Order: sequence, then structure tokens, then C-alpha cells
Amino acid sequence: MSDVDVELPVPPGDPGPGDDRAPAKGRTRVAPFIVLAVAVLIAGFFWILVSADKPDSETAYSPLVDRAAPAVTAQTLDGKPFDLQRRKGSWVVLNFFNSTCVPCKTEHPELVDFAAQQKALGSNGVEIYTVVWGNDSDSAVREFFADNGGDWPVLTDPEGSIAVAFAVPKVPETWIIDPDGVVRERIISNTTAQFLTSTISELANA
Amino acid sequence: MSRVKRWPGWAVLVAVVVIALVIGSVRGSGPQTDDDRVDTITQRLACPECTGESVFESRSPISETIRRQVRALVQQGQYDDDQIVDYIVDDDRFGARALLVPKASGFDSLVWSVPVFAGICAVAGLGVAFRRWRLAADTVPSDDDRELVAAALAREHEQQ
Repeated sequence: MSDVDVELPVPPGDPGPGDDRAPAKGRTRVAPFIVLAVAVLIAGFFWILVSADKPDSETAYSPLVDRAAPAVTAQTLDGKPFDLQRRKGSWVVLNFFNSTCVPCKTEHPELVDFAAQQKALGSNGVEIYTVVWGNDSDSAVREFFADNGGDWPVLTDPEGSIAVAFAVPKVPETWIIDPDGVVRERIISNTTAQFLTSTISELANA
Repeated sequence: MSRVKRWPGWAVLVAVVVIALVIGSVRGSGPQTDDDRVDTITQRLACPECTGESVFESRSPISETIRRQVRALVQQGQYDDDQIVDYIVDDDRFGARALLVPKASGFDSLVWSVPVFAGICAVAGLGVAFRRWRLAADTVPSDDDRELVAAALAREHEQQ
């Protein structure tokens, strides 16, 4: 190897040894701390996300809450007439459902449990009704109930009037109506038997 | 001579076009059937679960449900188009979010007035900026500037 000291040309952007534009030492010292702080922050958010209790059911605002329920007349799948106004005197749970909706299928066993609990209470029990939401065939709904249980009345809504009256944008959605015919709660997404029971009990004792 | 012979033809053509335009613009072009009315009404409604889609064009289940409700109300024959739209977008139901074109009254009118106001402000701001730039460009050259130019010209002469 040659011992000739070759001075390599300095690239235009590369600060030379005596260049006072050389990166400040402070910047390299601070950078790891900034990265660490950001990493801690992200880890904190992640921990909050993972450790947060998932709510049993989620309620949502509706202008109808604490107001008289919309007038609903319908026919059941069995062809019997239904009038919501005539259900006054009992707590009513209206569950909007579609047989092709996966969350509705997941929720259904909870409704079956809830209906069984309420049936055991006799005339003090809550009345539960399913409203067929969206495009669904009567035969598919019948088949679903035959396969998955549930002997409460199923209301058909061929004109979409119940869905529009309650402004239900997607299913499942469950509404609680008190014995005075006043809407008390709107539950979006899946609900559980336990949540329905405790919510109605709280509302009744309020 | 041929021009004179041709002009009645042109006059008739112009008259026909004018009459057709007048009839076209004056004639009522409202919906003729229930289906037309359903289409017209659903084109004014926004799908509550979509972004920027009307109930008319959306294939979402809620849009289908609203279409069925609109059809039922139209077939009842008791309500005009505005009444049906008002029923769907009532605050007790889907509210103003189901209106494809926001109202021009009340709080919703901000949707229309704010962009116009912002546009006027932007144009006025540009006007002020252009004026300032022009004034800056119009400044009289100083003695130093003149000397600089004279020196440059002299150098150029020497080189030639």
C-alpha cells in the first residue's frame, strides 16, 4: 500500500473538519430522549386501549329519549296486528334485527335468555318484540327463530315505517319503552340480558 | 337574389328554435309517475350511513329502507315531495344529516355563507397584496442604483 497521504475531495454537502456547520452535539444527545418520550406515550395509549373495560352495551343519544314513543302499528310474522300504543302498562323492549346481520346472530342468545327471565316473572315481565329491519324475507326470519329459539312476537316492517320512525340506521339496535309509552333508552350494537335487566330495573326505580 | 330567397327558411328555423326553447323552459317538467316522484325525493335525501351518497344511489340497507318508506308515503297520495322530505329529515328522525343539500336558513345557512365570505376575504386579501407589491415595484431608483447601472453599462461599452 502506498504511504502517500491522499486528500480526498470533500463532497459539497459534507462539512469539513473545520466546518462550523457540523451537526450540533446537543441535537444527537436530545434525539434519543425525544424518541423515548414518543415511545412511552404510544405505549401508554396502547395500555389504556388494552386495559379499558369494554362496555357491556352502548347507549346512544336520540331525540326520542324521554319522549312519547312514535306511533307504531304493524303486523307480526303470524299476521296478528300490533299497536305499540296498546302496550302501555308494560315495559317494552323493541329489538331491531336482520337475519343476515352477524352481530344480531351473536346477540340473539342473550335475548333468548332475557325473554326466558321475563317470562318467569309473569305479568310483571317485560314484553319483547323483534322488528325486522331492512331487506329480509319472512321465511329467513322464521327459519332463524326456529333454529335459534325465541318465541316472542316478530314485527314485519315492509314499508320501513318503524325503522324510519325510530331512525334506526343499522342493526342490532334495541329500544326500551316504559309503561307510560315513553322512550327511555336507545342501545346501539349488541346488548346482553344482564344489561337489559339492570337498565330496566334502574329506570323503574329512578 | 339567392340570399333573399333563402332568408324565409332561416327565419322559420329561428322561430321554431325560439318557440321550442320557450315551451321547454315554461312547461312543467315535474315527475309524472309515482316512481318518478320516489326518484326525485330520494335524490334530495342523503344516506345517513354513507358519505356524500344520496338515498337514490346508495345500496346500503338503510337507504333501501328509506326508499321503501318514501314509496309508501308517495303511494298514500296525501303528501307532497317537500312534506315527505321534511318527515324523513325531521329532528326526531334522521335530522339534517339526511338532507343532501343543506338548508339555506338558520344555522345550516353557514354552510352556504361561510365559503362565500371566505372567498370575498381571500379576493380582498389578494387585492391588498397585489397593490402592495405594485407600490413596492414602483419605487424610484436611488442614486446608488443609478450609479450601479451606469457602471455596468460603462463596463459593457469597454468590452465592446
